[in-house]
Amino acid sequence: MPAKTSRFLYRSSVPPLDPQETESIRIYWRGGPVFFAAVMAMRQTLKAVLIDLSGTLHIEDTVVPGAQEALSRLRQAPVAVKFVTNTTKECKRTLLERLHRLDFSIQEKEIFTSLTAARGLVEQRNMRPLLLLEDSALEDFAGIATSDPNAVVVGLAPDHFNYQMLNKAFRLMLDGAPLIAVHKARYYKRKDGLALGPGPFVTGLEYATDTQATVVGKPEKTFFLEALRDLNCKPEEAIMIGDDVRDDVGGAQNTGLRGILVKTGKYRAGDEDKISPHRM
Amino acid sequence: MAEKDWKDCVKNLKGVVLDMCGVLYDSGEGGGIPIPGSVEAVKRIKASDLQLRFCTNETQATREKFVAKLQRMGFDISVSEVFSPAPAAMAILKERNLRPHLLVHDDVLPEFNNIKKTNPNCVVIGDAADKFSYQNMNDAFRVLIELEKPVLFSLGRGRYYKETDGLKLDVGVFMKALEYACDIEAEVVGKPAPMFFQSALTDMGIQPEQALMIGDDLVNDVGGAQNCGMKALQVRTGKYRPSDETHPTVTADGYVNDLAEAVDLILKHRSQ
Repeated sequence: MPAKTSRFLYRSSVPPLDPQETESIRIYWRGGPVFFAAVMAMRQTLKAVLIDLSGTLHIEDTVVPGAQEALSRLRQAPVAVKFVTNTTKECKRTLLERLHRLDFSIQEKEIFTSLTAARGLVEQRNMRPLLLLEDSALEDFAGIATSDPNAVVVGLAPDHFNYQMLNKAFRLMLDGAPLIAVHKARYYKRKDGLALGPGPFVTGLEYATDTQATVVGKPEKTFFLEALRDLNCKPEEAIMIGDDVRDDVGGAQNTGLRGILVKTGKYRAGDEDKISPHRM
Repeated sequence: MAEKDWKDCVKNLKGVVLDMCGVLYDSGEGGGIPIPGSVEAVKRIKASDLQLRFCTNETQATREKFVAKLQRMGFDISVSEVFSPAPAAMAILKERNLRPHLLVHDDVLPEFNNIKKTNPNCVVIGDAADKFSYQNMNDAFRVLIELEKPVLFSLGRGRYYKETDGLKLDVGVFMKALEYACDIEAEVVGKPAPMFFQSALTDMGIQPEQALMIGDDLVNDVGGAQNCGMKALQVRTGKYRPSDETHPTVTADGYVNDLAEAVDLILKHRSQ
């Protein structure tokens, strides 16, 4: 391993990590997989690495340069790796198919999404949800009983965000059904412009019933804890790597993980000033 | 305690303000049905020395059509006695020289006939019911997010109302959705805005403490009127839910089973 460190960009600018260091870190990098240098430096205390997908490993159908090799190298280290993402429209199979097309060596069980988290919660509490989800996401809920619903799960579902369906959800909630939000994004970018995300509709239903939704995706603590659960790993023994300063880095830090911001994907200059981690 | 308070003030009462949907009638397919005893109760107030006005957040029809519907149900009511948000919003739009993008019920559109709507610089939402589709919400959102300083007017901010086939989401829910999406705060026209109650009081030429509000919506009718300095009763009809009587922030000055009982009690205490 040490023989190969010369391949890492800016290796010399990454100082050794204080083993007592529990604050999160961020790294400035420009396109190179320098974060794995940091990962290596921390490995005495490190048990798991969580990696965001879109914007970190790939952007749509293009690989972030160096990401495949970086991942192969990480696989040789004695750490568990999981891929975590806020998705509301794509089921795990669709995500996996894309990653395989892009030559990433990843198994389905290594992927943890906000839909997985929602399903986990539904199963754990034995709920029968009304699913406001696009058809493409329903696969992740296969086998879950949905008749006579006693819970409401809201993802990004333009086809379902109509008056009739929202009324149905509202009436269930008045009868005590909990509201589970896959995430609460305000809007997202479509080819034809900006479009409303699930957040506004979740907020509306919260207001109608004077209740709070349980949000299951990033940046919620429960999301990161759930992703780490089967890895037998405490938050301070894990690192999160992603391109979203709030959802990836901020969320991980609030949970006790270290967070690393990559300057790819949705990263915009100045993002690192939106949080205040220890600078590395 | 509260019971006694409101009955004490009845003797000095000069005017009554009534909410309409859920107090006079329950809405639903075919226009809705009168709540038993309410037609007679309105007649009894009108026959007394009390003035009467109606304050509604109804935005599914023009005032003319709405009043005509109530007249067909048997109510003694005229357009000039009814205060509704659409005409109030029109006054504000004209005063501030605004061009609205409208997300309102088709039947209330005529209220906005005499204003320019091209190249909109604000959004007005009312209870659009089935028109609250993703597409229409998105259109309103895009108008707002494009504006340098987004201006959103909401005709009321109710959470839900009752129709004969069950409870339905009201405009406030969609107002909250757009507020969250654009990180803004809407300007509410209609109940519970104090200005709205005040316009009815001004029309009667009386002070808030000389007026009593009767409504089924604890927050918008009762809370709104109380904020304006009026006393207010909640009826146990319409959207009333038993949990309203233990609400953390709003307590009515009295609770009555329905409008008929309220009018019985008011007239009885005034004659004593």
